[in-house]
Amino acid sequence: MSRHMRSNKPLLSVRDLVVEFSTERGLVRAIDGISFDVMHGETMGLVGESGCGKSVTSLAILGLIPSPPGRITAGSIQLNGRELVGLPESEYRRIRGSEISMIFQEPMTALNPVFTIASQMTDVLRRHQKIRGKQAKNRAIEMLELVGIPSPDKRINEYPHQLSGGMRQRVMIAMALSCNPKLLLADEPTTALDVTIQAQVMEQIVKLQHELGTAVVLVTHDLGVVAESCQRAVVMYAGRIVEQAPIIPLFKNPQHPYTAGLMASIPKIRTDKVLELPTIPGTVPDLLHLPEGCRFADRCQYSDDRCHKEQPNNQRKDNREVACFHPCEEA
Amino acid sequence: MSVLLEVKNLKKHFPIHGGLFHRVVGQLKAVDDVSFVLDKGKTMGLVGESGCGKSTLGRAVLRLHEPTDGTVILDGVDITKLESKALVDARKDMQIIFQDPYASLSPRRTIQQTLLEPLETHHIGTAKSRQQKIEELLDIVGLRKHVLHRYPHEFSGGQRQRIGIARALTLEPKFIVADEAVSALDVSVQSQVLNLISNLQKTLGISFLFISHDLAVVQHISDDVGVMYLGRLVEKATTTSLYSEPRHPYTKALLSAIPIPDPTIKNQRQILKGDVPSPLNPPSGCTFRTRCPEAMDICAAKVPLQVEVGSKNEPHWVACHLYEPS
Repeated sequence: MSRHMRSNKPLLSVRDLVVEFSTERGLVRAIDGISFDVMHGETMGLVGESGCGKSVTSLAILGLIPSPPGRITAGSIQLNGRELVGLPESEYRRIRGSEISMIFQEPMTALNPVFTIASQMTDVLRRHQKIRGKQAKNRAIEMLELVGIPSPDKRINEYPHQLSGGMRQRVMIAMALSCNPKLLLADEPTTALDVTIQAQVMEQIVKLQHELGTAVVLVTHDLGVVAESCQRAVVMYAGRIVEQAPIIPLFKNPQHPYTAGLMASIPKIRTDKVLELPTIPGTVPDLLHLPEGCRFADRCQYSDDRCHKEQPNNQRKDNREVACFHPCEEA
Repeated sequence: MSVLLEVKNLKKHFPIHGGLFHRVVGQLKAVDDVSFVLDKGKTMGLVGESGCGKSTLGRAVLRLHEPTDGTVILDGVDITKLESKALVDARKDMQIIFQDPYASLSPRRTIQQTLLEPLETHHIGTAKSRQQKIEELLDIVGLRKHVLHRYPHEFSGGQRQRIGIARALTLEPKFIVADEAVSALDVSVQSQVLNLISNLQKTLGISFLFISHDLAVVQHISDDVGVMYLGRLVEKATTTSLYSEPRHPYTKALLSAIPIPDPTIKNQRQILKGDVPSPLNPPSGCTFRTRCPEAMDICAAKVPLQVEVGSKNEPHWVACHLYEPS
């Protein structure tokens, strides 16, 4: 399969996106003005803890924000220069599955339990690629083989419950990539899997991404997975992007105190035993009662009066961006 | 160091019903012949992938699952032989912290009610002393007194897990099973709770059986670590010895599968083939042989025995034919 055209223009461009949900307790701004780009063929990590807005971001890109209660209230999402916000559902359907594909966290709920793998995979091909019958089935088998499913010609006639968790996730990947999408959104694709299976699935995603030239947005809370498979990462906190940078400088020298704290507190296999694990004190603020200034200020050891009063803007410097008044210096 | 808990040849088999008359057609060997010893004030980590039987083992030790066979001796008392009344008394010494802080606290009870219940059930102290006790406990787990009249939904995951820990501590147990106690938490909160648990262990001298799928978490908190695969312990050692010199091919693969949060290191990963086989129909001999890169003929024929490979200070055994003296 051929590599896609590479250009300097981003494949996906998100600008000042705001997503709000109306709840019983009031209006929640799950995403508050985020901007980022994804280049052709790149793997980008979207990192943050639960409730930071990373999954809402990927749903917004897919046009899947449940409405009501959710709504994109401002900003734009452009795919290859085409505006996606406000696109009618019929148009969006043509894009989902063919230009943008997705893999979800829990493959059992993403696959339909009453249809065989074959019927679900050929359905996608029939809709988007206009191939059907024997030809579609052969293409589906080919895809299953590509994601490393043993004896795909037999497996394809099975139902989702007959497959293990790792297998189901491979089927999801095969299905997501069967129409050669330009962008793959993978939302916590390995979180529900065991480490040995996670290693198999991540290897598969990285391999296919190289072969097919698909750009991948990897939504995850696991910084280890990001370090091993992404070229760039965006770190989110309480609905905002706090930092974005290429992966090596990001891990070597995290500039936002939150990124630094997050990296320090990952449990990792250590050669020397530490008595106390580094932590970030406190908890994530409630999205209904956000602080006036920087959202991380209450938990930040460097915060001062200004941090509590003003929201820091993004500062851009050699390929990286950080939203902080007191970014950590070069180590 | 005195022994607190001794588990001998513990088995938990679940019957499988099937056929026309719902007869027992097979046995699922969730825990199969597991033995280990836990010293006072120590923590043993138990790692393995989903379905390996680690949670069942934790529950069988507490008799939350009735063991099929084997003995569990806690502080000189054989738990498996106790009658119901004596068992209730023995339960004071053994507690459990569950994985899901959202499901393990009753949503209709205030924190005060939840924390007082164990003390009331066991008729410990007066109303006043009970109140004082639970206030102390909140302080220990890092929550303020005014939370007592709140309900679980008002707390974050990390705070709920602290309440779960406080509940486990009310009866001053000698032994706590922590079943994936931090797995549902975000990393920044996870490390807070881990620090809390390791402080409790030091200050109160409680022994923990710490069950987790996360090897990094287990390394931090444990003195000894056991690795489980399909219902059996395949390797057990001191934490230092296990992580610096893993012997079982499964332990090696598990360790190498962990993603390293450093993009400059290229992980020389050994990726295991295939999935964990169904415990309904486990492979003969060594159950790991179907995925093992080192499998030999003997592995299918014989169940490997425990072989001591460590030293006096760093005991370490492994159940693998590679290490059996020929």
